[in-house]
Amino acid sequence: MKITLRVLLILILGTVPAWAVLGQYESSVSVDQQYLRSEDRVQAFQAYKVHQLTSANGTIVREYISPQGLVFGVAWQAPFMPNMQQLLGSYVTNLQTASPTQTQVRHLRGRIVKTNDFVFVSGGHMRFWKGRAYVPSLLPNNVSAEVVR
Amino acid sequence: MILRNGSKATLARFLAVATGLIFSGGCGGSSSSSSTSTPAANNTAPMTVGFGPLGAPGGFVDGLFTSVTVCLPGTSTCQTIPDVLVDSESVGLRILNSALTTFPASSLGTITNNGNQLQECLQFGDLSYVWGPVLVADVELGGEKASSVPIQVIGDTTFNAPSNCFGTNPIGLNDDTVANLGANGILGVQNYAQDCGGSCTSSGAFFTGYPYYVCPSDVCSETFVPLTSQVWNTVAAFSSADNNGVLITLPSIPATGAADGSVSGSLIFGIGTQTDNALASSAIVYALDAYGNFPQVTYNGTQYTSPNNGSFIDTGSSGLFVLDASTLGIADCRDNGYYCPSQTLTLSNIALTGYGNVGSGTVSLSIANADALFAANPTFAAFNNLGSDSGTGPSTDFFDFGLPFFFGRRVYIGMMPGQFSGESSAPSGASSTYGYWAF
Repeated sequence: MKITLRVLLILILGTVPAWAVLGQYESSVSVDQQYLRSEDRVQAFQAYKVHQLTSANGTIVREYISPQGLVFGVAWQAPFMPNMQQLLGSYVTNLQTASPTQTQVRHLRGRIVKTNDFVFVSGGHMRFWKGRAYVPSLLPNNVSAEVVR
Repeated sequence: MILRNGSKATLARFLAVATGLIFSGGCGGSSSSSSTSTPAANNTAPMTVGFGPLGAPGGFVDGLFTSVTVCLPGTSTCQTIPDVLVDSESVGLRILNSALTTFPASSLGTITNNGNQLQECLQFGDLSYVWGPVLVADVELGGEKASSVPIQVIGDTTFNAPSNCFGTNPIGLNDDTVANLGANGILGVQNYAQDCGGSCTSSGAFFTGYPYYVCPSDVCSETFVPLTSQVWNTVAAFSSADNNGVLITLPSIPATGAADGSVSGSLIFGIGTQTDNALASSAIVYALDAYGNFPQVTYNGTQYTSPNNGSFIDTGSSGLFVLDASTLGIADCRDNGYYCPSQTLTLSNIALTGYGNVGSGTVSLSIANADALFAANPTFAAFNNLGSDSGTGPSTDFFDFGLPFFFGRRVYIGMMPGQFSGESSAPSGASSTYGYWAF
Protein backbone atom coordinates (compact mmCIF):
# COMPACT_ATOMS: atom_id res chain seq x y z
CA MET A 1 0.00 0.00 0.00
CA LYS A 2 1.33 3.37 -1.01
CA ILE A 3 1.38 5.77 1.90
CA THR A 4 3.53 8.65 0.83
CA LEU A 5 5.26 9.72 -2.30
CA ARG A 6 7.87 12.34 -2.30
CA VAL A 7 10.19 13.31 -5.07
CA LEU A 8 13.72 14.42 -4.56
CA LEU A 9 15.64 15.90 -7.43
CA ILE A 10 19.28 16.25 -6.65
CA LEU A 11 22.04 16.77 -9.13
CA ILE A 12 25.41 15.88 -7.75
CA LEU A 13 28.53 16.10 -9.84
CA GLY A 14 31.02 14.96 -7.25
CA THR A 15 33.35 12.02 -7.50
CA VAL A 16 32.34 8.55 -6.43
CA PRO A 17 33.61 7.85 -2.95
CA ALA A 18 32.91 4.16 -2.38
CA TRP A 19 30.87 1.18 -3.30
CA ALA A 20 27.33 0.62 -2.13
CA VAL A 21 24.76 -0.75 -1.48
CA LEU A 22 23.11 -4.18 -1.00
CA GLY A 23 23.08 -5.05 2.69
CA GLN A 24 24.19 -1.59 3.72
CA TYR A 25 22.32 1.31 5.27
CA GLU A 26 19.94 3.49 3.32
CA SER A 27 22.46 6.32 3.33
CA SER A 28 24.54 4.37 0.85
CA VAL A 29 21.84 4.89 -1.77
CA SER A 30 23.17 8.38 -2.29
CA VAL A 31 26.47 6.90 -3.38
CA ASP A 32 24.72 5.04 -6.15
CA GLN A 33 22.78 8.14 -6.99
CA GLN A 34 25.99 10.04 -7.50
CA TYR A 35 27.52 7.23 -9.49
CA LEU A 36 24.49 6.96 -11.73
CA ARG A 37 24.00 10.75 -11.89
CA SER A 38 20.36 10.10 -11.38
CA GLU A 39 17.17 11.44 -9.92
CA ASP A 40 16.07 9.77 -6.71
CA ARG A 41 12.36 9.19 -6.22
CA VAL A 42 11.38 7.69 -2.89
CA GLN A 43 8.25 5.68 -2.47
CA ALA A 44 7.18 4.42 0.95
CA PHE A 45 5.11 1.33 1.48
CA GLN A 46 3.89 -0.09 4.75
CA ALA A 47 6.75 -2.50 5.32
CA TYR A 48 9.52 -1.10 3.17
CA LYS A 49 10.68 1.86 1.14
CA VAL A 50 11.93 2.07 -2.45
CA HIS A 51 14.45 4.48 -3.90
CA GLN A 52 14.11 4.66 -7.66
CA LEU A 53 17.19 6.12 -9.32
CA THR A 54 16.62 7.20 -12.92
CA SER A 55 19.43 8.30 -15.20
CA ALA A 56 19.11 10.40 -18.32
CA ASN A 57 20.14 7.47 -20.53
CA GLY A 58 17.28 5.29 -19.32
CA THR A 59 19.02 3.34 -16.58
CA ILE A 60 16.66 2.64 -13.71
CA VAL A 61 17.87 1.22 -10.39
CA ARG A 62 15.47 0.44 -7.55
CA GLU A 63 16.79 -0.09 -4.05
CA TYR A 64 14.58 -1.61 -1.39
CA ILE A 65 14.93 -0.48 2.24
CA SER A 66 13.79 -2.47 5.26
CA PRO A 67 12.31 -0.88 8.41
CA GLN A 68 15.76 -1.44 9.95
CA GLY A 69 17.13 0.92 7.31
CA LEU A 70 19.05 -1.75 5.38
CA VAL A 71 19.01 -2.30 1.63
CA PHE A 72 17.54 -5.79 1.22
CA GLY A 73 17.13 -5.78 -2.54
CA VAL A 74 18.29 -4.07 -5.72
CA ALA A 75 16.69 -4.22 -9.17
CA TRP A 76 17.90 -2.67 -12.40
CA GLN A 77 16.93 -2.08 -15.99
CA ALA A 78 19.42 -0.44 -18.33
CA PRO A 79 20.60 -0.15 -21.93
CA PHE A 80 24.00 -1.44 -20.79
CA MET A 81 24.95 -3.68 -17.92
CA PRO A 82 25.27 -1.73 -14.69
CA ASN A 83 28.35 -2.08 -12.53
CA MET A 84 27.52 -5.00 -10.25
CA GLN A 85 30.32 -4.20 -7.87
CA GLN A 86 28.69 -0.88 -7.21
CA LEU A 87 25.16 -2.26 -6.78
CA LEU A 88 26.00 -5.37 -4.81
CA GLY A 89 28.84 -4.19 -2.61
CA SER A 90 30.42 -7.03 -0.70
CA TYR A 91 27.79 -9.46 -2.00
CA VAL A 92 29.51 -9.38 -5.37
CA THR A 93 31.84 -12.08 -4.04
CA ASN A 94 28.89 -14.47 -4.27
CA LEU A 95 29.08 -14.08 -8.04
CA GLN A 96 32.81 -14.61 -8.15
CA THR A 97 32.68 -17.80 -6.12
CA ALA A 98 29.55 -19.34 -7.63
CA SER A 99 30.21 -22.98 -8.39
CA PRO A 100 30.22 -24.23 -11.99
CA THR A 101 27.00 -26.16 -11.57
CA GLN A 102 25.21 -22.91 -10.99
CA THR A 103 26.56 -21.36 -14.15
CA GLN A 104 26.99 -24.20 -16.59
CA VAL A 105 24.46 -23.17 -19.20
CA ARG A 106 26.52 -21.55 -21.91
CA HIS A 107 24.88 -18.45 -23.23
CA LEU A 108 25.61 -14.80 -22.99
CA ARG A 109 22.11 -13.72 -22.25
CA GLY A 110 21.85 -14.16 -18.53
CA ARG A 111 22.84 -15.71 -15.26
CA ILE A 112 21.18 -16.89 -12.08
CA VAL A 113 23.09 -17.40 -8.85
CA LYS A 114 21.51 -18.67 -5.65
CA THR A 115 23.47 -19.19 -2.49
CA ASN A 116 22.29 -19.65 1.09
CA ASP A 117 21.48 -16.01 1.62
CA PHE A 118 21.82 -14.33 -1.77
CA VAL A 119 19.72 -14.50 -4.92
CA PHE A 120 20.87 -12.93 -8.18
CA VAL A 121 19.24 -12.84 -11.61
CA SER A 122 20.56 -11.06 -14.68
CA GLY A 123 19.19 -11.27 -18.20
CA GLY A 124 18.06 -9.51 -21.34
CA HIS A 125 19.68 -8.57 -24.62
CA MET A 126 21.68 -5.80 -26.20
CA ARG A 127 20.23 -2.39 -25.31
CA PHE A 128 17.99 -4.01 -22.67
CA TRP A 129 19.45 -5.61 -19.57
CA LYS A 130 17.60 -6.19 -16.37
CA GLY A 131 17.88 -8.10 -13.17
CA ARG A 132 17.63 -8.15 -9.43
CA ALA A 133 19.48 -9.25 -6.35
CA TYR A 134 18.26 -9.68 -2.81
CA VAL A 135 19.28 -10.99 0.58
CA PRO A 136 16.55 -13.30 1.93
CA SER A 137 17.58 -12.85 5.57
CA LEU A 138 17.16 -9.10 5.27
CA LEU A 139 13.61 -9.24 3.87
CA PRO A 140 11.17 -7.46 6.20
CA ASN A 141 8.54 -9.59 7.90
CA ASN A 142 5.67 -10.51 5.62
CA VAL A 143 7.37 -9.04 2.57
CA SER A 144 7.88 -11.31 -0.44
CA ALA A 145 11.08 -11.21 -2.43
CA GLU A 146 8.81 -10.68 -5.42
CA VAL A 147 8.52 -7.00 -4.55
CA VAL A 148 12.12 -6.60 -5.71
CA ARG A 149 11.63 -5.97 -9.41
CA MET B 1 25.45 2.36 -44.02
CA ILE B 2 26.23 5.92 -45.01
CA LEU B 3 29.35 4.79 -46.79
CA ARG B 4 27.29 3.30 -49.54
CA ASN B 5 26.08 6.51 -51.06
CA GLY B 6 29.04 8.77 -50.73
CA SER B 7 32.76 8.72 -50.89
CA LYS B 8 34.64 7.67 -47.81
CA ALA B 9 36.51 10.90 -47.86
CA THR B 10 33.21 12.62 -47.22
CA LEU B 11 32.53 10.33 -44.33
CA ALA B 12 35.94 10.91 -42.87
CA ARG B 13 35.40 14.64 -43.04
CA PHE B 14 32.02 14.30 -41.41
CA LEU B 15 33.49 12.31 -38.59
CA ALA B 16 36.31 14.71 -38.11
CA VAL B 17 33.91 17.59 -37.81
CA ALA B 18 31.46 15.73 -35.65
CA THR B 19 33.69 14.31 -33.00
CA GLY B 20 37.31 14.17 -33.95
CA LEU B 21 36.95 10.50 -34.72
CA ILE B 22 38.73 9.60 -37.93
CA PHE B 23 38.44 6.57 -40.15
CA SER B 24 41.64 5.64 -41.89
CA GLY B 25 43.08 2.73 -43.71
CA GLY B 26 41.16 1.16 -46.51
CA CYS B 27 39.69 4.47 -47.46
CA GLY B 28 40.34 3.84 -51.09
CA GLY B 29 37.66 5.67 -52.98
CA SER B 30 34.79 3.74 -54.35
CA SER B 31 34.00 7.13 -55.79
CA SER B 32 32.36 5.73 -58.87
CA SER B 33 29.19 5.04 -56.97
CA SER B 34 27.23 4.72 -60.17
CA SER B 35 23.62 3.85 -59.61
CA THR B 36 23.98 0.51 -61.29
CA SER B 37 21.13 -1.92 -61.17
CA THR B 38 23.35 -4.72 -60.02
CA PRO B 39 22.06 -8.27 -60.26
CA ALA B 40 20.57 -9.66 -57.09
CA ALA B 41 23.23 -10.80 -54.70
CA ASN B 42 23.42 -14.33 -53.39
CA ASN B 43 21.74 -13.38 -50.15
CA THR B 44 22.15 -16.63 -48.23
CA ALA B 45 24.79 -17.74 -45.79
CA PRO B 46 24.64 -21.36 -44.64
CA MET B 47 24.48 -22.10 -40.93
CA THR B 48 24.92 -25.21 -38.85
CA VAL B 49 23.81 -26.09 -35.34
CA GLY B 50 26.31 -27.69 -33.04
CA PHE B 51 28.80 -27.60 -30.22
CA GLY B 52 31.07 -25.16 -32.03
CA PRO B 53 34.87 -25.23 -31.95
CA LEU B 54 35.12 -26.59 -28.40
CA GLY B 55 33.19 -29.75 -29.18
CA ALA B 56 31.55 -31.65 -26.35
CA PRO B 57 31.77 -31.27 -23.48
CA GLY B 58 32.54 -27.64 -22.91
CA GLY B 59 31.11 -26.25 -26.10
CA PHE B 60 27.70 -24.90 -26.88
CA VAL B 61 24.57 -26.94 -27.01
CA ASP B 62 22.21 -25.44 -29.56
CA GLY B 63 24.90 -23.13 -30.87
CA LEU B 64 24.12 -21.57 -34.27
CA PHE B 65 27.21 -20.97 -36.39
CA THR B 66 28.14 -19.50 -39.75
CA SER B 67 31.29 -18.43 -41.61
CA VAL B 68 32.26 -14.82 -42.10
CA THR B 69 34.82 -13.48 -44.55
CA VAL B 70 36.77 -10.48 -43.28
CA CYS B 71 38.91 -8.47 -45.72
CA LEU B 72 41.32 -5.61 -45.46
CA PRO B 73 39.22 -2.68 -46.72
CA GLY B 74 39.35 -2.16 -50.46
CA THR B 75 41.58 -5.17 -51.05
CA SER B 76 41.21 -8.83 -51.90
CA THR B 77 43.20 -9.82 -48.84
CA CYS B 78 40.58 -11.80 -46.99
CA GLN B 79 40.16 -14.52 -44.42
CA THR B 80 37.14 -16.73 -43.97
CA ILE B 81 36.49 -17.38 -40.30
CA PRO B 82 34.32 -20.38 -39.43
CA ASP B 83 32.34 -21.04 -36.27
CA VAL B 84 31.03 -17.53 -35.75
CA LEU B 85 27.97 -17.52 -33.51
CA VAL B 86 24.82 -16.11 -35.14
CA ASP B 87 23.19 -13.93 -32.49
CA SER B 88 19.84 -12.29 -33.20
CA GLU B 89 19.94 -10.28 -29.99
CA SER B 90 23.19 -8.38 -30.36
CA VAL B 91 24.46 -6.02 -33.01
CA GLY B 92 27.61 -6.23 -35.08
CA LEU B 93 30.51 -8.49 -35.91
CA ARG B 94 33.01 -9.29 -33.16
CA ILE B 95 35.95 -11.47 -34.14
CA LEU B 96 38.55 -13.00 -31.86
CA ASN B 97 41.98 -11.52 -32.39
CA SER B 98 43.37 -15.04 -32.22
CA ALA B 99 41.17 -16.07 -35.18
CA LEU B 100 42.82 -13.52 -37.48
CA THR B 101 45.66 -15.58 -38.91
CA THR B 102 45.89 -14.33 -42.52
CA PHE B 103 46.57 -10.77 -41.50
CA PRO B 104 46.93 -9.05 -38.14
CA ALA B 105 44.22 -6.86 -36.69
CA SER B 106 46.65 -3.97 -36.94
CA SER B 107 46.37 -3.99 -40.73
CA LEU B 108 42.62 -3.32 -40.64
CA GLY B 109 41.34 0.23 -40.91
CA THR B 110 41.38 2.27 -37.75
CA ILE B 111 38.98 4.64 -36.06
CA THR B 112 40.84 7.17 -33.96
CA ASN B 113 40.27 10.18 -31.81
CA ASN B 114 43.31 12.47 -31.54
CA GLY B 115 45.37 9.55 -32.70
CA ASN B 116 43.98 7.17 -30.12
CA GLN B 117 42.35 3.98 -31.34
CA LEU B 118 38.67 3.57 -30.43
CA GLN B 119 38.12 0.63 -28.04
CA GLU B 120 35.00 -1.09 -26.84
CA CYS B 121 34.05 -2.94 -23.69
CA LEU B 122 30.82 -4.88 -23.81
CA GLN B 123 29.35 -6.79 -20.94
CA PHE B 124 26.64 -9.39 -21.48
CA GLY B 125 23.83 -10.48 -19.21
CA ASP B 126 25.83 -13.41 -17.85
CA LEU B 127 28.40 -10.81 -16.70
CA SER B 128 30.96 -12.06 -19.19
CA TYR B 129 32.57 -9.41 -21.33
CA VAL B 130 34.53 -8.70 -24.49
CA TRP B 131 37.15 -6.01 -24.93
CA GLY B 132 39.08 -4.76 -27.92
CA PRO B 133 39.46 -2.16 -30.68
CA VAL B 134 36.79 -1.06 -33.15
CA LEU B 135 38.37 -1.49 -36.59
CA VAL B 136 37.24 -1.13 -40.18
CA ALA B 137 36.92 -4.12 -42.49
CA ASP B 138 35.12 -5.27 -45.61
CA VAL B 139 32.85 -8.09 -44.54
CA GLU B 140 31.36 -10.75 -46.81
CA LEU B 141 28.45 -12.97 -45.85
CA GLY B 142 27.20 -15.37 -48.50
CA GLY B 143 27.36 -13.25 -51.66
CA GLU B 144 26.73 -10.00 -49.78
CA LYS B 145 29.36 -7.44 -48.98
CA ALA B 146 29.64 -4.59 -46.50
CA SER B 147 32.48 -2.23 -47.33
CA SER B 148 34.45 -0.44 -44.65
CA VAL B 149 32.19 -1.45 -41.81
CA PRO B 150 33.23 -0.97 -38.16
CA ILE B 151 33.69 -4.31 -36.40
CA GLN B 152 35.23 -5.20 -33.05
CA VAL B 153 38.35 -7.32 -32.71
CA ILE B 154 38.11 -8.85 -29.27
CA GLY B 155 41.02 -10.13 -27.26
CA ASP B 156 43.52 -7.55 -28.43
CA THR B 157 45.71 -7.06 -25.39
CA THR B 158 47.26 -3.71 -26.27
CA PHE B 159 45.35 -2.16 -23.37
CA ASN B 160 43.93 -3.65 -20.21
CA ALA B 161 40.16 -3.70 -20.03
CA PRO B 162 38.76 -0.88 -17.91
CA SER B 163 37.00 -1.66 -14.65
CA ASN B 164 33.59 -1.44 -16.37
CA CYS B 165 34.63 -4.72 -17.94
CA PHE B 166 35.76 -6.01 -14.54
CA GLY B 167 39.22 -6.40 -15.90
CA THR B 168 40.85 -5.79 -12.57
CA ASN B 169 38.45 -7.70 -10.37
CA PRO B 170 36.68 -10.14 -12.65
CA ILE B 171 33.14 -11.15 -11.85
CA GLY B 172 32.28 -12.65 -15.18
CA LEU B 173 34.25 -14.55 -17.74
CA ASN B 174 36.48 -12.74 -20.21
CA ASP B 175 35.07 -13.94 -23.53
CA ASP B 176 38.15 -12.91 -25.49
CA THR B 177 39.35 -16.48 -26.07
CA VAL B 178 37.90 -19.45 -27.95
CA ALA B 179 37.92 -21.39 -24.69
CA ASN B 180 35.65 -18.89 -23.00
CA LEU B 181 33.57 -17.64 -25.93
CA GLY B 182 33.03 -21.09 -27.45
CA ALA B 183 33.15 -19.51 -30.90
CA ASN B 184 35.53 -17.57 -33.13
CA GLY B 185 33.31 -14.55 -32.97
CA ILE B 186 29.76 -13.26 -32.82
CA LEU B 187 27.69 -12.07 -35.76
CA GLY B 188 24.97 -9.88 -34.28
CA VAL B 189 21.92 -9.40 -36.50
CA GLN B 190 19.56 -7.72 -34.06
CA ASN B 191 17.05 -5.12 -35.27
CA TYR B 192 19.38 -2.17 -34.73
CA ALA B 193 21.93 -0.72 -37.16
CA GLN B 194 24.51 0.12 -34.47
CA ASP B 195 25.28 -1.55 -31.18
CA CYS B 196 24.82 1.48 -28.95
CA GLY B 197 22.90 4.03 -30.98
CA GLY B 198 21.95 7.44 -29.66
CA SER B 199 22.97 6.64 -26.09
CA CYS B 200 26.62 6.88 -27.12
CA THR B 201 26.51 9.92 -29.40
CA SER B 202 25.25 12.66 -27.16
CA SER B 203 27.13 14.97 -24.89
CA GLY B 204 26.49 14.82 -21.18
CA ALA B 205 27.38 12.28 -18.56
CA PHE B 206 28.70 8.83 -19.32
CA PHE B 207 26.61 6.10 -17.78
CA THR B 208 27.54 2.96 -15.98
CA GLY B 209 28.31 0.22 -18.48
CA TYR B 210 29.18 2.77 -21.17
CA PRO B 211 30.99 0.80 -23.90
CA TYR B 212 33.30 3.11 -25.88
CA TYR B 213 36.79 4.12 -24.78
CA VAL B 214 40.05 5.61 -25.90
CA CYS B 215 43.25 4.91 -24.02
CA PRO B 216 45.80 7.74 -24.32
CA SER B 217 48.93 7.02 -22.25
CA ASP B 218 47.47 3.61 -21.37
CA VAL B 219 44.63 5.18 -19.38
CA CYS B 220 41.25 4.25 -20.80
CA SER B 221 38.35 6.65 -20.48
CA GLU B 222 34.94 6.90 -22.09
CA THR B 223 34.40 8.78 -25.32
CA PHE B 224 31.33 9.70 -27.33
CA VAL B 225 31.08 8.09 -30.75
CA PRO B 226 28.94 9.08 -33.75
CA LEU B 227 26.66 6.42 -35.18
CA THR B 228 28.92 5.98 -38.21
CA SER B 229 31.88 4.94 -36.04
CA GLN B 230 30.03 2.54 -33.77
CA VAL B 231 30.11 -1.19 -34.42
CA TRP B 232 27.60 -1.72 -37.21
CA ASN B 233 25.16 -4.45 -37.92
CA THR B 234 26.85 -5.99 -40.96
CA VAL B 235 23.49 -6.47 -42.65
CA ALA B 236 22.66 -2.78 -42.35
CA ALA B 237 25.96 -2.00 -44.06
CA PHE B 238 25.44 -4.19 -47.12
CA SER B 239 25.89 -2.51 -50.48
CA SER B 240 22.80 -4.34 -51.75
CA ALA B 241 19.18 -3.63 -50.92
CA ASP B 242 19.13 -6.70 -48.64
CA ASN B 243 19.73 -4.50 -45.62
CA ASN B 244 16.37 -4.34 -43.85
CA GLY B 245 16.56 -7.51 -41.82
CA VAL B 246 17.24 -11.21 -42.00
CA LEU B 247 15.28 -14.41 -42.38
CA ILE B 248 16.50 -17.35 -40.31
CA THR B 249 15.36 -20.79 -41.38
CA LEU B 250 16.08 -24.04 -39.59
CA PRO B 251 14.51 -27.43 -40.29
CA SER B 252 12.40 -29.39 -37.86
CA ILE B 253 14.27 -31.90 -35.74
CA PRO B 254 13.08 -34.88 -33.71
CA ALA B 255 12.28 -34.52 -30.02
CA THR B 256 15.32 -36.66 -29.31
CA GLY B 257 17.54 -34.04 -30.92
CA ALA B 258 20.09 -34.18 -33.71
CA ALA B 259 23.82 -34.81 -33.98
CA ASP B 260 26.44 -32.10 -33.87
CA GLY B 261 26.68 -30.41 -37.25
CA SER B 262 23.88 -32.43 -38.81
CA VAL B 263 21.36 -29.61 -38.84
CA SER B 264 21.81 -27.02 -41.56
CA GLY B 265 19.90 -23.79 -41.94
CA SER B 266 19.99 -20.56 -43.88
CA LEU B 267 20.70 -17.01 -42.89
CA ILE B 268 18.90 -15.11 -45.65
CA PHE B 269 19.51 -11.40 -45.96
CA GLY B 270 16.81 -8.85 -46.63
CA ILE B 271 13.07 -9.14 -46.15
CA GLY B 272 10.86 -8.74 -49.21
CA THR B 273 13.82 -7.67 -51.30
CA GLN B 274 14.25 -10.88 -53.31
CA THR B 275 12.12 -13.83 -54.23
CA ASP B 276 13.63 -16.01 -51.53
CA ASN B 277 12.94 -13.64 -48.65
CA ALA B 278 9.35 -12.58 -49.28
CA LEU B 279 7.33 -12.15 -46.13
CA ALA B 280 5.17 -15.25 -46.04
CA SER B 281 1.46 -14.52 -45.97
CA SER B 282 1.15 -17.04 -43.15
CA ALA B 283 3.67 -15.19 -40.97
CA ILE B 284 2.39 -13.06 -38.12
CA VAL B 285 4.27 -9.78 -37.77
CA TYR B 286 4.95 -8.76 -34.16
CA ALA B 287 6.09 -5.16 -33.73
CA LEU B 288 8.76 -4.73 -31.06
CA ASP B 289 8.41 -2.20 -28.28
CA ALA B 290 10.96 0.50 -27.48
CA TYR B 291 12.97 -2.00 -25.40
CA GLY B 292 13.14 -4.51 -28.25
CA ASN B 293 10.67 -6.87 -26.56
CA PHE B 294 7.24 -8.33 -26.97
CA PRO B 295 5.12 -5.81 -25.02
CA GLN B 296 3.19 -8.69 -23.51
CA VAL B 297 3.25 -12.45 -23.26
CA THR B 298 0.33 -14.19 -21.58
CA TYR B 299 0.58 -17.70 -20.25
CA ASN B 300 -1.68 -19.64 -17.95
CA GLY B 301 -3.69 -16.52 -17.13
CA THR B 302 -0.68 -14.42 -16.15
CA GLN B 303 0.48 -11.43 -18.16
CA TYR B 304 4.22 -10.95 -18.52
CA THR B 305 4.68 -7.34 -19.55
CA SER B 306 7.72 -5.49 -20.84
CA PRO B 307 9.92 -4.05 -19.46
CA ASN B 308 9.61 -5.82 -16.07
CA ASN B 309 8.97 -9.14 -17.73
CA GLY B 310 10.45 -8.25 -21.12
CA SER B 311 10.34 -11.24 -23.48
CA PHE B 312 12.12 -11.82 -26.79
CA ILE B 313 13.33 -14.35 -29.34
CA ASP B 314 17.06 -15.01 -29.62
CA THR B 315 19.22 -17.38 -31.66
CA GLY B 316 22.07 -16.67 -29.23
CA SER B 317 20.26 -18.25 -26.29
CA SER B 318 20.99 -21.95 -26.08
CA GLY B 319 17.65 -22.91 -24.64
CA LEU B 320 14.11 -21.82 -23.90
CA PHE B 321 14.63 -19.58 -20.91
CA VAL B 322 11.06 -19.41 -19.76
CA LEU B 323 9.54 -18.58 -16.37
CA ASP B 324 11.12 -20.51 -13.49
CA ALA B 325 11.11 -24.06 -12.18
CA SER B 326 8.75 -23.50 -9.27
CA THR B 327 6.28 -21.48 -11.34
CA LEU B 328 6.25 -24.31 -13.89
CA GLY B 329 6.20 -26.96 -11.17
CA ILE B 330 9.21 -28.81 -12.53
CA ALA B 331 12.76 -29.50 -11.39
CA ASP B 332 16.05 -27.98 -12.40
CA CYS B 333 18.69 -30.50 -13.39
CA ARG B 334 21.27 -31.08 -10.68
CA ASP B 335 24.34 -31.18 -12.89
CA ASN B 336 23.62 -28.55 -15.52
CA GLY B 337 21.63 -25.38 -15.77
CA TYR B 338 18.69 -26.79 -17.69
CA TYR B 339 15.24 -28.04 -16.70
CA CYS B 340 14.78 -31.70 -15.83
CA PRO B 341 11.03 -32.33 -15.72
CA SER B 342 10.06 -35.89 -14.81
CA GLN B 343 8.09 -36.01 -18.04
CA THR B 344 8.13 -33.69 -21.03
CA LEU B 345 6.22 -30.51 -20.28
CA THR B 346 4.16 -28.80 -22.95
CA LEU B 347 3.45 -25.09 -22.62
CA SER B 348 0.58 -24.48 -24.98
CA ASN B 349 -1.25 -21.30 -25.87
CA ILE B 350 1.51 -18.89 -25.01
CA ALA B 351 -0.09 -15.69 -26.31
CA LEU B 352 2.18 -13.09 -27.87
CA THR B 353 1.27 -9.46 -28.43
CA GLY B 354 3.16 -6.93 -30.56
CA TYR B 355 3.66 -3.22 -29.96
CA GLY B 356 0.56 -1.16 -30.69
CA ASN B 357 -1.25 -4.47 -31.05
CA VAL B 358 0.60 -5.11 -34.31
CA GLY B 359 0.69 -8.87 -34.11
CA SER B 360 -1.10 -11.34 -31.94
CA GLY B 361 -0.78 -15.07 -31.97
CA THR B 362 0.04 -18.11 -29.91
CA VAL B 363 2.93 -20.54 -29.77
CA SER B 364 3.61 -23.76 -27.90
CA LEU B 365 6.83 -24.96 -26.37
CA SER B 366 8.00 -28.33 -25.27
CA ILE B 367 10.47 -28.83 -22.42
CA ALA B 368 12.11 -32.22 -22.01
CA ASN B 369 14.46 -33.62 -19.38
CA ALA B 370 17.89 -32.30 -20.37
CA ASP B 371 19.81 -34.97 -18.46
CA ALA B 372 17.92 -37.67 -20.31
CA LEU B 373 18.43 -35.99 -23.69
CA PHE B 374 22.18 -35.60 -23.16
CA ALA B 375 22.61 -39.12 -21.77
CA ALA B 376 20.69 -40.77 -24.60
CA ASN B 377 22.83 -39.24 -27.34
CA PRO B 378 26.10 -37.68 -26.19
CA THR B 379 27.00 -36.58 -29.73
CA PHE B 380 23.77 -34.65 -30.15
CA ALA B 381 24.03 -30.88 -30.03
CA ALA B 382 20.70 -29.68 -31.46
CA PHE B 383 17.56 -29.84 -29.37
CA ASN B 384 14.16 -28.21 -29.77
CA ASN B 385 13.09 -28.81 -26.19
CA LEU B 386 15.85 -27.63 -23.86
CA GLY B 387 14.59 -25.22 -21.26
CA SER B 388 15.85 -23.32 -18.26
CA ASP B 389 14.87 -20.67 -15.73
CA SER B 390 14.57 -17.07 -16.86
CA GLY B 391 14.42 -15.77 -13.32
CA THR B 392 13.52 -16.66 -9.76
CA GLY B 393 9.90 -15.56 -9.53
CA PRO B 394 6.90 -14.27 -11.46
CA SER B 395 7.50 -10.57 -10.83
CA THR B 396 10.62 -10.65 -12.99
CA ASP B 397 10.29 -13.86 -15.02
CA PHE B 398 10.10 -13.65 -18.79
CA PHE B 399 10.20 -15.69 -21.99
CA ASP B 400 13.48 -15.89 -23.90
CA PHE B 401 12.55 -17.95 -26.94
CA GLY B 402 16.03 -19.24 -27.67
CA LEU B 403 17.38 -21.41 -30.46
CA PRO B 404 15.05 -24.37 -29.78
CA PHE B 405 12.20 -22.10 -30.82
CA PHE B 406 13.68 -21.63 -34.31
CA PHE B 407 13.63 -25.27 -35.44
CA GLY B 408 10.94 -25.83 -38.05
CA ARG B 409 10.29 -22.11 -38.39
CA ARG B 410 11.06 -19.29 -40.77
CA VAL B 411 11.75 -16.33 -38.49
CA TYR B 412 12.08 -12.81 -39.87
CA ILE B 413 14.02 -10.22 -37.86
CA GLY B 414 13.02 -6.84 -39.23
CA MET B 415 15.29 -3.85 -38.83
CA MET B 416 14.03 -0.77 -37.01
CA PRO B 417 13.09 1.67 -39.80
CA GLY B 418 14.74 5.02 -40.36
CA GLN B 419 18.18 4.23 -38.96
CA PHE B 420 20.31 4.94 -42.03
CA SER B 421 20.02 6.29 -45.53
CA GLY B 422 19.45 3.65 -48.15
CA GLU B 423 17.61 1.37 -45.71
CA SER B 424 15.16 -0.73 -47.70
CA SER B 425 11.64 -0.30 -46.46
CA ALA B 426 9.87 -3.16 -44.77
CA PRO B 427 7.51 -5.20 -46.95
CA SER B 428 3.87 -4.27 -46.82
CA GLY B 429 2.23 -5.66 -43.75
CA ALA B 430 5.34 -5.22 -41.65
CA SER B 431 5.20 -1.62 -40.54
CA SER B 432 6.78 -0.94 -37.16
CA THR B 433 8.37 1.80 -35.13
CA TYR B 434 11.16 -0.20 -33.53
CA GLY B 435 11.48 -3.20 -35.82
CA TYR B 436 9.60 -6.49 -35.81
CA TRP B 437 9.72 -10.23 -35.62
CA ALA B 438 7.60 -12.37 -37.88
CA PHE B 439 7.03 -16.13 -37.92
